[in-house]
Amino acid sequence: MFTSFFQNIINALQWGSFYSMIALGYCLVYGVLRLINFAHGDIFMVAAYLGFIFITFLFKYIFVGGGVSGWLILAITLPVVMFFTSVLGVFIERVAYRPLREKGAHRLYVVITALMVGLILENGNLALFGASSRKFPAIIHRSVISFSGVHITNLKVLVIIAAFVTFAFLQAIVNKTKIGMAMRAISYDKFAIPLMGIPVNKVIVFTFILGSSLAAVAGVLFGMSYPVLNPYMGMIIGWKAFIAAVVGGIGDIKGAFLGGFLLGFIEILIVSFFSSNLKDLISFLILLIILVIKPTGFYGVAKSTKI
Amino acid sequence: MLEIKDLKVRYGNIEALHGISFTVDKGEIVTLIGANGAGKTTTLMSIARLPRPEAPTVIAGDIIYDGESLLNVSPDVVVAEKRIALVPEGRHIFGNLSVQENLQIATYALDKDANVKDAYEKVYSLFPRLYERRKQRSESLSGGEQQMLAVGRALMTGSNFIMLDEPSMGLAPVLVYDMFKALRQMNEENMTILLIEQNAKIALEFAHRGYVIDTGEIVASGTGKELMENPDVKKAYLGG
Repeated sequence: MFTSFFQNIINALQWGSFYSMIALGYCLVYGVLRLINFAHGDIFMVAAYLGFIFITFLFKYIFVGGGVSGWLILAITLPVVMFFTSVLGVFIERVAYRPLREKGAHRLYVVITALMVGLILENGNLALFGASSRKFPAIIHRSVISFSGVHITNLKVLVIIAAFVTFAFLQAIVNKTKIGMAMRAISYDKFAIPLMGIPVNKVIVFTFILGSSLAAVAGVLFGMSYPVLNPYMGMIIGWKAFIAAVVGGIGDIKGAFLGGFLLGFIEILIVSFFSSNLKDLISFLILLIILVIKPTGFYGVAKSTKI
Repeated sequence: MLEIKDLKVRYGNIEALHGISFTVDKGEIVTLIGANGAGKTTTLMSIARLPRPEAPTVIAGDIIYDGESLLNVSPDVVVAEKRIALVPEGRHIFGNLSVQENLQIATYALDKDANVKDAYEKVYSLFPRLYERRKQRSESLSGGEQQMLAVGRALMTGSNFIMLDEPSMGLAPVLVYDMFKALRQMNEENMTILLIEQNAKIALEFAHRGYVIDTGEIVASGTGKELMENPDVKKAYLGG
């Protein structure tokens, strides 16, 4: 009983970490643009594929003989994938969202555009790689740490640490830097931002870079943890992360972070008591009840201050 | 310093300014007065080059500042390089930031070696209330304090030309007077001011010159004193 309890907590923390890292990306973009960026889950998917492509490339052309530390490969892969995922995020902003914004289009049209971008990413991937799943290369040898019956893999620890480190990093940016202050300000009043001499588009581009980089970290770590990739892997996990962000209170990055873990815990605990077929049904019923009781989520503020 | 030439602007298909012209010289306080919907706010938003949909599109004419056209300048550059600030109608302070952060964010575009400390001192000496409340979340300020903050923020941008949209709106009469005294003090320290007001009386009293704007056209102009004595202006805007 005791050991399975701790085992579940570790598993929930790991799942929650993925949801949290993705939820933060939704939260950032929503705070700055009031846009539910439905393509975000698919950006996460693309990041996992980019990791797969880059690591395959490394093994094929650079570290041909093998014998290179997996941690070194990860240390090279992460920034590269973060960079290319950010390029993708900024590119999407540039060609799909900004033109509508500059024409003064209603937010609803931008959200529809985001849905379409998501579908384009999924089907573009399908066209490039076909429908069969890809296997993410195993770069880090899984080792298991056991104490009194609880088994923790080094990968799980890595995922959980990554989630907390990225969150701390994000908090520092939002609260301590000038551009972070501009992000908080823009979420309250976009109109007055240029009046402070701040280019609105620069803040928006920076936000997409941050959100996409988080999705990249999540995507690579997810690929390492669950090595089967397919073009639709980002859809469901993206929606779940979005719902987690709303339940946490999309008004606040703390809310999005906690919401992700909340969903992780609910899912894992349900699986440990009921059939896993009931996992999504029961967990979303619980989230629905939470939202009915507190529509703004845990950290949400009724007033329009986001981030 | 600022020259508006035959400016025509529209919102969608509706023309809001039908070719207005006026000038503001260095060191002046100039006011545009007129009724609600006359085009005063539209004029200031056009000069600040704010984007659609809130601001209009210029279809003809020109906005010349220090000899250069502002028409192709983006709104952040108007502040960051041209050093023209706008205190917008409704204040638009960042309510989720503290008072001090609101002032700090206005220094975003200043050079690294700019003397920010002096700027804070200037704002806090002009509006001591802001100093008392500098740590407070700014949405908890009263209306008058928020207006002070909006003006203080404009000062922090390092601008030497400030446009104000209805600084008296929603303020108690005693605060309106204080606000105008602060504006005059700023003017004496070399700030050029373009002010729009529905409260024509106080605006004309404090301004060097004024223009009367009516449904998108300028219908009268002169020194503050001349306009106050103009019978048409008296009848329409000064309550007889």
